Amino acid sequence: MTTRQEWIRYLGLGGLVLVCLGLLGLAAWQLVQLERQMRIGASENMIWVFGQAQIEALNLALTLSDEAAAQQIQTRFDVLLSRLTLLEEGPQRRFLEDAGVSETLADWRSGLLALDPAQGADMAALRAHVTALVAALRGKASLVMSHEWQIQAERLDRLGHLHRLALVSVLGAALAGLGLAAILIDRERRLMRGRLDRLRAEKLAGDLERERETSENHRRFADLIAHQLRTPLAVIDSAMHRLTRRGGPVSPELVSEKAAVSREAVARLVKLTDTALMMSRLERDGVLPHLGAHDLHDLAAAVIDDLMVAQGRNPSRIRPPAQAAPMVALCDPALTGEILSNLLRNALLYSPLDCRVDVEVSQSQTHIVCRIEDRGRGMSPEEIARAFDRFHRGSGHETLPGSGLGLTLARHLARMQGGDVNLTQRAGGGLTAALYLPREVSA
Amino acid sequence: MNLRHRIARTALIAALLLSSVPAAAENVLLTLTGAVTDGRVELTRADFDAMDWHEFATSTSVTDHQPEFRGVLMRDILAHAGAEGSQVRAAALNDYVVDIPIEDFYQFDVLAALYMDGVPLTPRDKGPVWIVYPRDDHGVLADIRYDMRWVWQLVALHVQ
Repeated sequence: MTTRQEWIRYLGLGGLVLVCLGLLGLAAWQLVQLERQMRIGASENMIWVFGQAQIEALNLALTLSDEAAAQQIQTRFDVLLSRLTLLEEGPQRRFLEDAGVSETLADWRSGLLALDPAQGADMAALRAHVTALVAALRGKASLVMSHEWQIQAERLDRLGHLHRLALVSVLGAALAGLGLAAILIDRERRLMRGRLDRLRAEKLAGDLERERETSENHRRFADLIAHQLRTPLAVIDSAMHRLTRRGGPVSPELVSEKAAVSREAVARLVKLTDTALMMSRLERDGVLPHLGAHDLHDLAAAVIDDLMVAQGRNPSRIRPPAQAAPMVALCDPALTGEILSNLLRNALLYSPLDCRVDVEVSQSQTHIVCRIEDRGRGMSPEEIARAFDRFHRGSGHETLPGSGLGLTLARHLARMQGGDVNLTQRAGGGLTAALYLPREVSA
Repeated sequence: MNLRHRIARTALIAALLLSSVPAAAENVLLTLTGAVTDGRVELTRADFDAMDWHEFATSTSVTDHQPEFRGVLMRDILAHAGAEGSQVRAAALNDYVVDIPIEDFYQFDVLAALYMDGVPLTPRDKGPVWIVYPRDDHGVLADIRYDMRWVWQLVALHVQ
């Protein structure tokens, strides 16, 4: 989306917010107006006020015709006068002016004042005046009534108008709010989609990277295998060549020597193939450990025997573990044998021929530990840290036979059984490889 | 208007008319009946003069400007008469009758005004006594329910 479009969207959003708030403010203002206009003023009660004047005029007329006591006549006279006075005061006078009955009332009042009984006025004249006043008031009462209702109806109209305006404002605000909500939901949806796309892209990139790594590993593995296959094949080829060379008979000693060399080369080929197969199966998660209780002394001794027989090495070079209390671990004997054989071959390969390799089995609270100590040149902590990486070859050992997979495989197999393999520098030179396996906890 | 109301009103007016017969009655401005000392208390101008006078200006619902009212506080009158009750039924010369909660007189400085703008109130205007609320000091008082309690030409109070 271009910046211009983005700006237009923001402006639209802001506009909608303004419209929404503006309409709500307008509605609030209209409601306040409505509330103010809904008060009832006493001055609006003109039907009552005018009616009271009428009644007092009648009362005085009645008192006069009854020839009541002077005091009583005076009281009724005063009250009627107060009523006419009230009608001449501010709000009442304006109302009557609007209704068109005002000017005549002033005349009636001054006429009444001129006939004050307290001043000894003529009672007959007063009676006549009051009688005429009663008739006049009656004639105007309906005007007052209709004017009052006119005013009330107009007021209700105004209230209704304000009410409708407030309603329209609120509805408008609701519409704007809906629009706002729609835009925000749409925006949220876009954001969510964008986020999902990004996550998917990241996952794809990760998959691709992993695939690349795997493919690179396979390539290096194939190179290594090919390279490792070459050497024993070359040895066999050379032996065969020697035996079949023309020029004299071949002595039985030479045959047996070349056979031994060839067999060792074949054993290495087989070993290499086994390792490759094992790695391949592990990568497919095709290997499941068959855990059982096994004494690590026995397993270590069997591995040492096999190694000596297979390679025809000097048995005295390896010092087997001293037979003490049984050290029973919960492990798979075949996998454990593979690990121990791996570690032992490393120890033999990477230390001088005349140096001893010690194998020792001990136990901790939770684990059985088998340590294999050589007296080679050892490894630096940095080398140890990289030793378990796939295809990593120890520095300076590139020419020695090996796949760069042995330690990786050993650690992987140990961890499959709930154990581990690690390397430490041996005090006094050389390297200690330790295999940890969980102890068998017998019931 | 219910029956009780009507009887009370008739009784009040009868009391008023009876009390206005003696010559001394001219001086009586306000008569209190009901739950007051000895059931009846008559206030003359001298009684009013003996009390504390107050004054304030306020707008009213029937005048344009804000007249200055002077008189005594309604609660002082009730205290003077030893009134014990929750409301008074106020009656006027013009037969106007309205019930006022006594609480009003303690909540607001309600005046029994005898003067407006320095001129004594007379029965020909809104006298002798006009109940005036301090309408401009309290927003709630600008309401028809309080405007109804502004009794002018007040002559009698029945304490209940």
